[in-house]
Amino acid sequence: MTHRSLLAALATSTALVAAPAIAQDCADPIKVGVLHSLSGSMAISETTLRDVMLMLIEQQNEAGGVLGCQLEAVVVDPASDWPLFAELTRQLLTVDEVDVIFGAWTSVSRKSALPVLEELNGLMFYPVQYEGEESSRNVFYTGAAPNQQAIPAVDYFLEELGVESFALLGTDYVYPRTTNAILEAYLLDKGIAAEDIFVNYTPFGHSDWSTIVSDVVALGAGGKQVGVISTINGDANVGFYTELGAQGVSAADIPVVAFSVGEEELSGLDTGPLAGHLAAWNYFQSADTEINADFVAAWKEFAGEDRVTNDPMEAHYIGFNMWVNAVEAAGTTDVDAVREAMWGQEYPNLTGGTAVMNANHHLSKPVLIGEIREDGQFDIISQTTEVPGDAWTDFLPESAVLTSDWQALECGMYNTETETCVQLTSNY
Amino acid sequence: MAKTTLAPRKGFLSENPSVLRFLGLLALFTIIISALAEGFGVGVISTSFLKVLGMTLCLCLIAVAMDVVWGYCGILSLGHFAFFGLGGYGIGMWLMYARTEGIVRESLANAPIPATEGEVRDAIATQIFSVVGSTELPFIWGFAHSLTLQLLLIVLVPGLLALVFGWLAFRSRVTGVYLSILTQAMTLALSLYLFQNDTGLRGNNGLSGLQNIPGLLHLPQSTIALWFFWASALALGLGYLLFAWLVSGKFGSVVRAIRDNESRVRFLGYHVESYKLVVFTATAIVSGIAGALYYPQAGIINPAEIAPITSIYLAVWVAIGGRGRLYGAVIGAATVSLLSSWFTGGGAPNINLGFYEIVWTDWWLVLLGLGFVAVTLFFPKGIGGLFDYLVRKP
Amino acid sequence: MPLRTVLSRALAILVLSMLALTAPPRAAVAQDTLQPLLQQYAEELASPSRRSFGAVADALLADGRPGAADFLRRYEAREVVQRPEDGLFFYAEDAGDLVRLIDVDTGAAVADVSSRDVDQIRANAGVRRVIAAALVPFELNAPERARREAALDAISRSAEASQIAPLADSIAQEPDPDLKTRKERLFLLLTAQFGAERAERLEAIAALGGDTSIEARGVLNQLTATRTEVAPSLPESANIARVLTVGEDLTQAEAYADLVDAGLAEPAQTPSELRAVLAENIVDGRVGGVPVGRLSDPMARIEAYEALEDAGAVPPRAAPDEAAQAVAAHVFYDEYVLNDPEITTAAQDALDSTAQAIATYQMADLVLDGLSLASIFFLAAIGLAITFGVMGVINMAHGEFIMMGAYTGYVVQLFIPDYTISLLVALPLAFLVTFGAGVAMERAVIRHLYTRPLETLLATFGISIALQQLAKNIFGTQARPLTAPDWLGGAITFNDIVGISTIRVAIFVLALIFLGVLLYILKRTRLGLEVRAVTQNPGMAASMGINPDRINMLTFGLGSGIAGIAGVAIGLYAQVTSEMGASYIVQSFMTVVVGGVGNVWGTLAGASLIGFLQKGIEWFNPSNTLAAQTFMVLFVILFIQFRPKGIVALKGRAAGD
Repeated sequence: MTHRSLLAALATSTALVAAPAIAQDCADPIKVGVLHSLSGSMAISETTLRDVMLMLIEQQNEAGGVLGCQLEAVVVDPASDWPLFAELTRQLLTVDEVDVIFGAWTSVSRKSALPVLEELNGLMFYPVQYEGEESSRNVFYTGAAPNQQAIPAVDYFLEELGVESFALLGTDYVYPRTTNAILEAYLLDKGIAAEDIFVNYTPFGHSDWSTIVSDVVALGAGGKQVGVISTINGDANVGFYTELGAQGVSAADIPVVAFSVGEEELSGLDTGPLAGHLAAWNYFQSADTEINADFVAAWKEFAGEDRVTNDPMEAHYIGFNMWVNAVEAAGTTDVDAVREAMWGQEYPNLTGGTAVMNANHHLSKPVLIGEIREDGQFDIISQTTEVPGDAWTDFLPESAVLTSDWQALECGMYNTETETCVQLTSNY
Repeated sequence: MAKTTLAPRKGFLSENPSVLRFLGLLALFTIIISALAEGFGVGVISTSFLKVLGMTLCLCLIAVAMDVVWGYCGILSLGHFAFFGLGGYGIGMWLMYARTEGIVRESLANAPIPATEGEVRDAIATQIFSVVGSTELPFIWGFAHSLTLQLLLIVLVPGLLALVFGWLAFRSRVTGVYLSILTQAMTLALSLYLFQNDTGLRGNNGLSGLQNIPGLLHLPQSTIALWFFWASALALGLGYLLFAWLVSGKFGSVVRAIRDNESRVRFLGYHVESYKLVVFTATAIVSGIAGALYYPQAGIINPAEIAPITSIYLAVWVAIGGRGRLYGAVIGAATVSLLSSWFTGGGAPNINLGFYEIVWTDWWLVLLGLGFVAVTLFFPKGIGGLFDYLVRKP
Repeated sequence: MPLRTVLSRALAILVLSMLALTAPPRAAVAQDTLQPLLQQYAEELASPSRRSFGAVADALLADGRPGAADFLRRYEAREVVQRPEDGLFFYAEDAGDLVRLIDVDTGAAVADVSSRDVDQIRANAGVRRVIAAALVPFELNAPERARREAALDAISRSAEASQIAPLADSIAQEPDPDLKTRKERLFLLLTAQFGAERAERLEAIAALGGDTSIEARGVLNQLTATRTEVAPSLPESANIARVLTVGEDLTQAEAYADLVDAGLAEPAQTPSELRAVLAENIVDGRVGGVPVGRLSDPMARIEAYEALEDAGAVPPRAAPDEAAQAVAAHVFYDEYVLNDPEITTAAQDALDSTAQAIATYQMADLVLDGLSLASIFFLAAIGLAITFGVMGVINMAHGEFIMMGAYTGYVVQLFIPDYTISLLVALPLAFLVTFGAGVAMERAVIRHLYTRPLETLLATFGISIALQQLAKNIFGTQARPLTAPDWLGGAITFNDIVGISTIRVAIFVLALIFLGVLLYILKRTRLGLEVRAVTQNPGMAASMGINPDRINMLTFGLGSGIAGIAGVAIGLYAQVTSEMGASYIVQSFMTVVVGGVGNVWGTLAGASLIGFLQKGIEWFNPSNTLAAQTFMVLFVILFIQFRPKGIVALKGRAAGD
């Protein structure tokens, strides 16, 4: 109960001072907006991120705050209602006057907040793996772009597991659609025939998986090694993996690599039958490093012994610390100064190595592939060196000509063929 | 229907002082809010709150329409948000197309060879649809370049859908709960359809960035928000007037009679289906207009907006406000949606009970749900009924 | 890279053999222990890769040192670590927080170290498959049945020609009849693929005819794999599967693209290439005499290009019918990858002989899936069939009763770890909990609203969102596991195509039981009689001495209780979240309305119609489940227009209006 009431104390959206004393030279306290859904369908994933932000802010305040000022969390609840993201972003920036926002999960919520951020010149850190094809002046993307998650996972399938026949299963929304479009182009490029790529989209929260799993099993009749690339989102995974287990599909026969299943999602599952299936992320809780051990311990102390850590949490961890360092370097919380100080910021990954913020507002991070263990954690079986995030994929013809460089080109959507900046705002 | 049934009686407004009072209050409200708004440099009311108020006016408008169709005609439609959403998509298509066209033309202006119209269209399509992995402009965007045509569609599409759906349903004499479930199925089908990525309206992402009005990009949002607030107030006033007039005359009496006993009205020789169809279609068109004003203020429209639950909420607003009185619908919609944004926006202070602290983001929906139950049980006439009771008591 | 590793390995073997020649005594000592051999392959062992590991495993096994096979087994099980200081490999065992290093040769514990001080080697699934394949000859006659079975799995996952001989040898000694059958079958499959004797191979292929299993079809499909080719005329030597007709089998554009890919035609100029060429030739604001300003017209661009062409500045444009002529001048055909007509024909015949059976089985599987979906819809809707169908109460909180049942199951599992017992406890408990909740709701709310049916919708909707949020506050937002006992975990499979998971069969059986029990209660008991009396005419029923209040309460409780049990069943196969109820409510109402209100049979009919319809539409378009749902709802809307009272419409007075 102690952590619950602590959260409750912190979770008010009216600005609350998280530490008792405010340094004297701070006329205005530094405010950090937290824009994660606490109710509605996305609360399942986003509530954790609110908690991790509160923990990071508390830790920073204990360490003396930023620029000698204490930080103040301003938490609002967009309630998984996309227009509310735009409304609350405006409220955070104009009424609460926050200096930075950490928030959003789904692409549509980010696209909802984007125009407001760009209009009011706000600053947001977006912590979730996403479909790419975007680079906003006012957003730093600390989650993985497709080339930092999907492409390496497919390479692993091709190279290490010898998969020749692919089933791309996804929930019907933008991230799976765009990711699968990129992967299809990539696979065709790699010489996989079009008839060896099976694509299926299901609604959010889908539970009737038996036909789809049968379809995937039937792909084996082609005599080629079958592999599943899953962009299935959220709780639909429960039914999917249960059906895989029921039909006796083992990881040795048909491996499944998931881009949206992490420690948090597995905690709602009986993981016994899933052992051996894969997930690709930039972070796993099982990473065996000292800073990760400290992070996990701090999290368990803050949120509860049974809580797990996951990739978007690490993204917020890196993003928040980079922002703190950028503010210290710039000597102000002014958005433009901080933005420029962000380029080239370095911060250690929890999995080892160093993350770097590039001028396209994406991170360089290592890509990890983990095998699901029976205890709901992952065995890390492959870890690359840091891969720079690519805002515009090289595998779709329209975006191959685009690039993003806010430092040298001062443009997030630069056409290298015509050598012009297509637009300064992003394409929401 | 003979012309006489629809002709207004003399002195409609003088016979309905409540309509006049409402319009007066609305005007006063608009003036006060405008005077305090950021757009006039006062800034007591922030732009974000002004947008909330403008959107609330649009919700009041659809609530009035809902009250006419349910409170007066007895059709509990659980699908009116489908029309609202269609209106939003209608205006959204033009907003996105025109804004993108501006960006594309500007970026192509420096090319050594001037672009052909085909190239411009392709570039616009790529820009809008690359997010769903497509580069083709779907045929339903054929009119998106023209504001006039698209405005026409905002009226025509919801109107035609309501006409066809209503004609089918009323002709088959589907009534009561069955009709409610049928309308719910309609909005479910539409939202499922729009959820699919390949239906040409960007699937789950919907249309976004709608607050940036092409041609007005140089104006600050505080001004645009104010304009939309005025437009919403005007639309609510006109809509209210239209419906008050519609339900006040003989037409209104027939409609109310249908609500109370459909068979008897039919036996009296009225063509019940036509009356219902007129009410259903007219309210659908007004809902579409309300949506077209709402989404440029909200900034984004996507299929979740027309999921069945939103239309149930609409019915609840009307019930809470009090059915069968138009101002009741306005009160209900305004109260619930403003309270909702107060609680989720974090305006409400937490209550510490000592052993437990009530965080409103966690408990607000419980309160709202129990509130619905209480209103239905104890105030069957809603807040509007309570209001009537207080006014007439002395 | 592969070349380099091959070379370095060859060199290593060469050096080793030279060492063995020059210094026999020392080499003999070295040969007894594994570690030096491992060190030769240290790089591959430390970061294994599927492509290169086969050679390493073969080399380790070929050397014949004791413990090599055992090392690979433990390596596969991820029990091997490397010490970074000296690069030595050890077996690792758990020793509390530390890792105990075991010498690979002596088996003695060397040291206890922290897990961060050694490099864990995690062979991935691809490498493990390679190891399993390499170990096959050693495992086929292993004393443990499980190891022999694993070896057979390894063969079916990665078949190799070299496995034929050891497999054939092991068949005779196999004591287990099941494994013996499987070995014989695998032998057949291997022979069909790699058999050296043509006659034997053809015989094996023919024997696979009529076999609908995935492995058999996989082998045959591999043998009959084709690729599309294009040539000026049909080549004599190729093993042609069929000749393609442009316009039917492939479009003109695809055909031309194939020609371009094959290097038989020049790619057509794209508009952007045209623009680029024009842009290069701008002279004084004109291209070929055409002012740049006019070039926003496509015709003007062609005019400008032709002017450049005449001036000889650019290569000539392709004539409009050039592409069509080029396509017409070539043959497009599918060619078997395997250039052996006898084998491919036999394999194709074998495949064709199963086509009919496969189609039938697929239909049977579809019917099973439809049946299963229908029973899930029925289970979700049957409680509603009572509260809505019989009593006319629109209970929007019905979905939340399903959710309460599922959470009851979850809570029971927290206290009773045995899944079978907990399920047996959870089912009645879920009924009791939701029965209680239903009765409470009926007494507190619905009782007051019987005269205002549409308002029950609003009140129960309020209860629904309050219950959902309460569940979220209590159980959190994360999905909770509700685990089925093992005996419900698997699937019932008739063959590789027709099969259904056991849990779905259980749901089907449960739905049947519900149907029976409800029919019995409504038709054969006093309570049922009273329920029917009260719903048809409460006033008359009351005057006959029936207490309508009590009956309404019990009926509502019954409907809610059934929803609770349905919740446990649904939770076992799908996710338990606070929002699970909401996803069933609209569907359930549609089921009841389509079926016909006031009749349990109607609900059954409605659920069957919707379930089979949805599966049918999915079958037409398997890649988009959402579209299937959309069409299903559209169908429901149209259906109600034509049969407003549903499939099983009540007649006479009971129908009311």
